[in-house]
Amino acid sequence: MQIRDYIIRRLMILPILIIGTSIIVFALTRIGGSPIGIYLSHEMSPAEVQEMKERFHLDKPVPIQYFYWIKGVSQGDLGWSGVASAPVVDVFPKKFAATMELAIAAGIVAVSLGIAMGTFAGARRNKISDHIIRVVSVSGASMPLFWFAILLLIIFWVWLGWFPIGRSDPNLFEAIPHPTGFYTIDALLAGDFSAFRDAIWHLIMPAVALGYGATAIIARMMRSSLIEELQEDYVDAAKAKGLAERVVLKKHARRNALVPTVTVIGLTFGFLLQGTVVAEIIFRWPGLGRWMASAVLRGDQATIMTYVMFTSILFLFVNLVVDIIYAYLDRRVVLGD
Amino acid sequence: MVKNTQNLEIDEVGFNDSAFKVRLKRNLEILSNVLANPTTVLGLIIVILMLAMAIFAPIITEPNTPDPYQMPRDWKAARSAPLTPGHILGTTNRGGDVFYGVVWGARTSLKLSILVVTLTVVLGVIIGSVAGIVGGKVDEILMRIVDVFLSIPELIFALAIAAILGPSFTNIILALVVVFWVKYARIMRAQVIRIKQREYVDAAKIMGASKLQIYLKDILPNSFSPVMVQATLDMGNIVLVGATLSFIGLSEAGIAEWGVLVSEGQAGISAGRWWASTFPGLMVFLWALAFNLVGDGLRDVLDPRTETKR
Amino acid sequence: MSPDNLDIQNSLDKDLIASVTDLKVYFESKQGMVHSVDGVSFDIVDGEMMGLVGETGCGKSVTARTFMQLVQSPPGVLAGGNIKFRSKNSKSGSQVIDLLDLSENQIRELRGERIAMIFQDPGKALNPGLTIRTQIAEVFQEHRENDVLEKAGLKNKLTGVTEYFVKKYIKQEAGFLVTTLLKIPPLSTYKKKIDNGINRLVAEALEETQIPNPTKVMERFPHELSGGMKQRVMIAQAIACNPDLLIADEPTTALDVTVQARVLDLIKELQKRHKTSVLYISHDLSLVRRICDRIAVMYAGQIVETGDAETIFNQPKHPYTQGLINALPSMSHERGKLEAIEGIVPELIEPEPGCRFVSRCKRRKANCKKIDPKLQPISEVDKSHKVACLLYES
Repeated sequence: MQIRDYIIRRLMILPILIIGTSIIVFALTRIGGSPIGIYLSHEMSPAEVQEMKERFHLDKPVPIQYFYWIKGVSQGDLGWSGVASAPVVDVFPKKFAATMELAIAAGIVAVSLGIAMGTFAGARRNKISDHIIRVVSVSGASMPLFWFAILLLIIFWVWLGWFPIGRSDPNLFEAIPHPTGFYTIDALLAGDFSAFRDAIWHLIMPAVALGYGATAIIARMMRSSLIEELQEDYVDAAKAKGLAERVVLKKHARRNALVPTVTVIGLTFGFLLQGTVVAEIIFRWPGLGRWMASAVLRGDQATIMTYVMFTSILFLFVNLVVDIIYAYLDRRVVLGD
Repeated sequence: MVKNTQNLEIDEVGFNDSAFKVRLKRNLEILSNVLANPTTVLGLIIVILMLAMAIFAPIITEPNTPDPYQMPRDWKAARSAPLTPGHILGTTNRGGDVFYGVVWGARTSLKLSILVVTLTVVLGVIIGSVAGIVGGKVDEILMRIVDVFLSIPELIFALAIAAILGPSFTNIILALVVVFWVKYARIMRAQVIRIKQREYVDAAKIMGASKLQIYLKDILPNSFSPVMVQATLDMGNIVLVGATLSFIGLSEAGIAEWGVLVSEGQAGISAGRWWASTFPGLMVFLWALAFNLVGDGLRDVLDPRTETKR
Repeated sequence: MSPDNLDIQNSLDKDLIASVTDLKVYFESKQGMVHSVDGVSFDIVDGEMMGLVGETGCGKSVTARTFMQLVQSPPGVLAGGNIKFRSKNSKSGSQVIDLLDLSENQIRELRGERIAMIFQDPGKALNPGLTIRTQIAEVFQEHRENDVLEKAGLKNKLTGVTEYFVKKYIKQEAGFLVTTLLKIPPLSTYKKKIDNGINRLVAEALEETQIPNPTKVMERFPHELSGGMKQRVMIAQAIACNPDLLIADEPTTALDVTVQARVLDLIKELQKRHKTSVLYISHDLSLVRRICDRIAVMYAGQIVETGDAETIFNQPKHPYTQGLINALPSMSHERGKLEAIEGIVPELIEPEPGCRFVSRCKRRKANCKKIDPKLQPISEVDKSHKVACLLYES
């Protein structure tokens, strides 16, 4: 029952948080100077400027402007992006797909590499390989993504020339249809393997860069929980049955060590989300992050507002899901022994 | 073996020791435990080196005129590789000495982190304490506001604020303060509530101490540890986020700041000029790493049970 | 088995199943070497229940774990001695081997099969995340591949790649590829048969320990069972392959008293039925007396007395044993008086020569601090009763 109450409570707060966030976001835009600066230009006459102001309801009090915004959003009007020279709603889906593809790829890298590294290190505690992995883990949390990404760029693009930048080779991708917006999947669905390889090749550097911080955190957690599990009696008991080291490690210890690790995996979502901004700039990836970065530099308010709201809502939902999973796991452990 | 200093509170005193002596003994104990961990010591060494670099910047390199925080421009030496005489780490596209940028960037980072951490701690501690002490509706409202602030991812929030306010170093400071004060509010509130329930607070109340006295003497000193830990971690983290904001372009062009330097160095990368971005970026990494190591070490000693989320 | 082992082929008495000779197991620590087990010698007669008694920290658990090389090797160090063991049902008939001389692969063949162990806290010794079935099945999968095939009705019916895959699956050596392939027909039918075969073996094992409703219990997780049930599961797991030697490390310490008695009866019954030899570790002398044939008393890493259970109890010779028995509450004592042994167990880091009990012994003599007492028979007549005490040395 406690869990259900917890979930209900969290769900009830959710709309309040979303509304609160929207108020803050909106208030921000009204604090900093002329909100339609991006739409004005010096050539406009005072009359035209006035007309623009009326069109965007800037002559009305701020709370009223807020409601106009909300009304617009509910009707699917997210504003005009000066950076993209198009309505935000039109540009959003394609860029969203690009960012999602990158984020998911980075997530896959982080989870698989992180768990593998953590297990490897935990099983070989205090040996050299363990120390190396621990250094990598510690550095992960302090690693500036922009620096790591640039290093990768320098080594693998400039010096070695192994990987390309950007999202794809336009020659290969303009020809095939894009049902999902995920270049990798689209290429597979179209049966075009050179396009698929091209998409993967473009994904590798940014995914590794973006996933690095998360990999480090996951590896660290996996390592410490594995070490804890290996001290448990059931590990000795399993060995006493004559099982191979490999089976004891994977089937017994690691399986139980994964439980606390899973909760950490949820936390890394925030890392990935925020990292896309920088990663997309450096690797010239045409996603939401890069769009936001340009919007930020050029005062494209509609984009900024949409992006902040979108990421916040996403963040809230993911955190809620992670917290619920954690509460559920916790309860089972509590009820267990 | 590290001694366990868990839950050592100021109310547990030696019978005849003065309060000062007790505090001194306890702090020395903490210090020796912290120094027992080699990674923490490593972090501390790096921190000290960084601080030295920041403080002695004018001595290490000739300060630029008229504004030492502006990167010097020596067009003749532009685009030089590292180890050219006079420019150990090379020069940028505009002829700025990378080494100069590294050293004065430390100074900039120190300014940034101290300002932001001080402001966020003060703001957060005040608001958190008010929420914890007053309780009731005030607490509810304040905590909802904190929750709203926390529902926006940190970097993105700071990005939006700095964007709206306009690109400048001061605005980055402002943006970071607005985003990061909430952590301290939360910590402080939790501490206040926790300590409010302890017996010695009741004892003080019975003895007639005013709320302010209780706060200053009992609550505040005992809330110090988690705030200390977070502040140390933030010293590193703030520079990390700040440099990211500068990198994206929200600071002023041409200043001696690591993020700006990395950003400006990008132009030379495809031509193979790696040094203008690599060295300043390395500094950001080392700075963040050092404070993280020290902060982790502090946390292990002061409160080994908890593992704060970042 | 190495040629050297042939030398000890005949060096184990016919009536013994195992013999520990001068076993030394030390642990590295910052302050020096801890002499946890320091020259321990005792025998286990074939088919008997041998009790190893001592207080916490005396080294009895370490001794037990050394049988199966379960002591973690840093920081543990094997500093000397050997453990001879007669493996009765191995493929080449009866064989005597030195357990400490075996490689990891060789000892793995014995673990769970010829020598099995049950642990103190069954709640901790069972993996909380796996079902009972999975855990007991592992013993069969590792050691009784042919039985599994037979129960599955697949003995001698598989060939080629199929045989290879299925055997890999049984032995838990199947990689990702093989595991996925086995989920698809036609291989999936074989997998199902194997699983059913395993289920039957597990159910039979559970029945042996009188666990009701084996098929239901199999599917449960450890935390869903009571303490007594969990220990029965542990025992079922241990005797599944009919081992020659069962090592029980304080199996009833974590159980309620009433449950204790039932579990002890179970162990005793199984022992009689299968003629298993049992090494029973405990700190509880009165319990050990009830169920064990012979007892070895251990103190500070050394054996101080061995002999028949009744003899030790009625005629204890070593001052420590005497102290232990006196400390037991009994009808013959005055009301309100319990005798405790004064003093505490000495630190075992680089210990000095001399008897280790000397600081607590009421009957100590001048020499006791300097000379190490040796474990020797009390008299020529009664060779089975041995003491390590200068009071009895000639």
